[in-house]
Amino acid sequence: MSETGYPWPIETTRLANGMRVVVSEDRSAPVVAVNLWYDVGSRHEPAGQTGFAHLFEHLMFEGSVNVPKTEHMRLVQGNGGSLNATTNPDRTNYFETLPAEHLELALWLEADRMGGLVPALVQETLDNQRDVVKNERRQRYENVPYGDAWLRLLPLLYPEGHPYHHPTIGSMEDLNAAELATFQAFHRSYYAPDNAVLTVAGDAGPAEVFELAEKYFGGLTAGGSRPAAPTGSLDGWAGPVSSVVAAEVPAPRVYVAHRTYPYGTPEHDAVTVLATVLGQGRGSRLYRLLADGARLAQPDSVGAYGVDLAYAPAPLIASATARPGVTAARLGAALAEVVDELVTGGVTEQELARAQALLETEWWTAVATVDGRADLLSRYATLFGDPALVGSRLPGWRAVTTSALAEVAREVLRPEDRVTLVYEPMEAVA
Amino acid sequence: MTQLIAQRPEPGTPRPYRFPPVVRRSVAGGSVVAADLPGANLAVASLLLDAGGGRETIGVEGVAEVLAKALEEGTAARSAADYAVALESLGTDLSLSVDWDSFSATVQVPVASLPAAVELLAEAVRRPKLDPADIERVRDDEAESLRLYWANPGPRADAVLRGDLFGAEVRHGRPLSGDPRTVGALSVADVVGFHRSWFMAPGTLLVAGDLSRIDLDALGRAAFAGADEASPVVGDPFPAGGRTTRRIVLVDRPGSVQSTLRLGHTAPHRSHPDYVPMTLGAIVLGGAFTSRLNHLLREVRGYTYGIRSEYGLSRRFGRFVTSAGVQTAVTAPALVDAVGEIARTQAEGVTEPELAVARDWRAGQLSVGLQTPRAYASALSTLVVHDLPDDYHARLRESLLHATVEEVSAATAAHLNAEGITLVIEGDAAAIRPELEATGLGEVVVAAI
Repeated sequence: MSETGYPWPIETTRLANGMRVVVSEDRSAPVVAVNLWYDVGSRHEPAGQTGFAHLFEHLMFEGSVNVPKTEHMRLVQGNGGSLNATTNPDRTNYFETLPAEHLELALWLEADRMGGLVPALVQETLDNQRDVVKNERRQRYENVPYGDAWLRLLPLLYPEGHPYHHPTIGSMEDLNAAELATFQAFHRSYYAPDNAVLTVAGDAGPAEVFELAEKYFGGLTAGGSRPAAPTGSLDGWAGPVSSVVAAEVPAPRVYVAHRTYPYGTPEHDAVTVLATVLGQGRGSRLYRLLADGARLAQPDSVGAYGVDLAYAPAPLIASATARPGVTAARLGAALAEVVDELVTGGVTEQELARAQALLETEWWTAVATVDGRADLLSRYATLFGDPALVGSRLPGWRAVTTSALAEVAREVLRPEDRVTLVYEPMEAVA
Repeated sequence: MTQLIAQRPEPGTPRPYRFPPVVRRSVAGGSVVAADLPGANLAVASLLLDAGGGRETIGVEGVAEVLAKALEEGTAARSAADYAVALESLGTDLSLSVDWDSFSATVQVPVASLPAAVELLAEAVRRPKLDPADIERVRDDEAESLRLYWANPGPRADAVLRGDLFGAEVRHGRPLSGDPRTVGALSVADVVGFHRSWFMAPGTLLVAGDLSRIDLDALGRAAFAGADEASPVVGDPFPAGGRTTRRIVLVDRPGSVQSTLRLGHTAPHRSHPDYVPMTLGAIVLGGAFTSRLNHLLREVRGYTYGIRSEYGLSRRFGRFVTSAGVQTAVTAPALVDAVGEIARTQAEGVTEPELAVARDWRAGQLSVGLQTPRAYASALSTLVVHDLPDDYHARLRESLLHATVEEVSAATAAHLNAEGITLVIEGDAAAIRPELEATGLGEVVVAAI
């Protein structure tokens, strides 16, 4: 068994303008992944500008000085590649995987939109992508049952003014008020080489990548000072908190959430294992006790997971949907009881071993692709300053003991800190 | 001062494309088909049986799915809970999948655990307990699960489109997983009978992993033990047929902030000789991000988060479908635009710049998409289900790269059917019906679902 979770080479350099470059060579497939993390997410957004980091991510695909509108997508797909980008509270990432002979194309495209977006950004593009994002909000959050659970949980978990209080998708009102000049300023502040990590993984060597990085990104100017994200505080946060929503949903559903630890800490590793014990698979607590045993929850509806956020205690969320005839109150009480048992009764060695085995497979699946590796390397370089720390996550999970699980459970799953979100079907409350 | 490089770089030297050698073994009456992935930490094994939705008879649609769920409710050797813990302690779940052509059960584990995982896979698939009380419980759960799923936008529209294209009198005119009502009405005998009829032929074991550390014969013996029925015969493709007039079918979803579009018509089956040009044409129309549909409806109009068109092709039938969610207020103009682009593509064909994107995208994706053991197992499954030669993926790459504008345009002319397309719209009927009627695209009917 591998001692590290990352048995591939990692080479790094830093350009004179401050951009960090990470290379992880693997010649086993003729493909290369290019991945950039910009250290800007929705946690940086001031009041009145929620959703701006994500809307900005859309604008990055709409052309830059040397890349006409629509060309970015056409060039990557038209050369055999896959591409996308995502925004979350912590950061924004951009990535493409291509046949290896198109590495230079990807670097050219990324450099052009890092250094040359603002002159190409026009009102028409902003208006169009604002409409697209509003449709994304409708499609993902508003038009599906329970689709807005995450939007409702965040303000219950994090107080007003906390960087995680508002969701990344933002509010319709703020998006409507967005002005072009704000986005131009946003790019100048955050889309600078010294606020980015570039990772290349796959069929390319470090010497070649460093030379190309210098060629395409070396001429970009370092950014000025950037406004720091608000730090936020949970002091004085008094729980428990619960919220009941009457909505167009087909059955009652209950979410239970707790603030735990920031991603990257040993305690967060323990929380990841604990969430797996609690809610992953048919051997999990929730499945055995709520779905199979008490027959209160729909079997395919139970689950628990820890969220990978790094700048504040990240949430652990467990949820279950009621079987016919089961009330939200009964399900909620049972769900809370299962969580409480982690605190009072601990976890067995067999449960720990099951969870660690599942996480081991999950880890090797995540790093089986060059794109998966590139994103993890960018993550560790951006969050912790050292991409090689990526190798510590799997050993971190393996090192978790039943006593460590009992300790974090006692510390973070206290009933008085619990956030509960309940969905009730409209007709049930009418 | 920032200095950008204005000149777009030329590509480097292309690396050779290779699909790993396909290893085939005949073991214990069944077939093992494997791909060697030297150095891979994980290995995948997938037991593929000719027991998909297409084998269900009318009135018991969804029985394959219920059986799949019931397989994990205990075996001849151990209880459901013991089974779950034994399997998950190896690092895998039992991933069960039913499509029109096949049933598959898949495990993915660190390579040293593969023999034990395949033993457990076979235990569930070949020797399940199938206790009547468990089956009834699983059936009820599955019916409720479908009820919850059908509360989302999409499943009802899909079912209405399928029924309209193929007719409710054939199995593939009904939903693959059945609907909440049909599944709720299944009997224990239906489920046990489906297992007896279709799960006792050996089938094929697909393996992707580091073969220097895997004994394929031993895995085959474990997977095929006790399975001695003859392999079922695959039927011929159904006649494709197709409507000659367009119609709008409205599925009411009061208060919906978006309308869910499912625009479709029948198409040839998967092995049709036009497969390559036909699917390339669908990419130009609505497969790539810069495709005609997505460009117009998302990037120009801002009507949608995304719209795509594709062929869904199985052994005996196929269909073309365009899918999108559009803002309620723009449902009618979005529909007019979408039908306009489908009609234009059928009438005028494709251009070389558009086709170049489609060709290179699909060819490149053969490399980009094939990195994990699971992806290789899926590629092997394509070979087996459609009876394709071992060098299929290499040949496919060549035929994609050599497809001409004339061939693809001929295929879009022959296989798109803008005049006979069925336009299913799931949305707020009261809000959108008058505008839909005013489009003149076709008669508007409301589906009873």
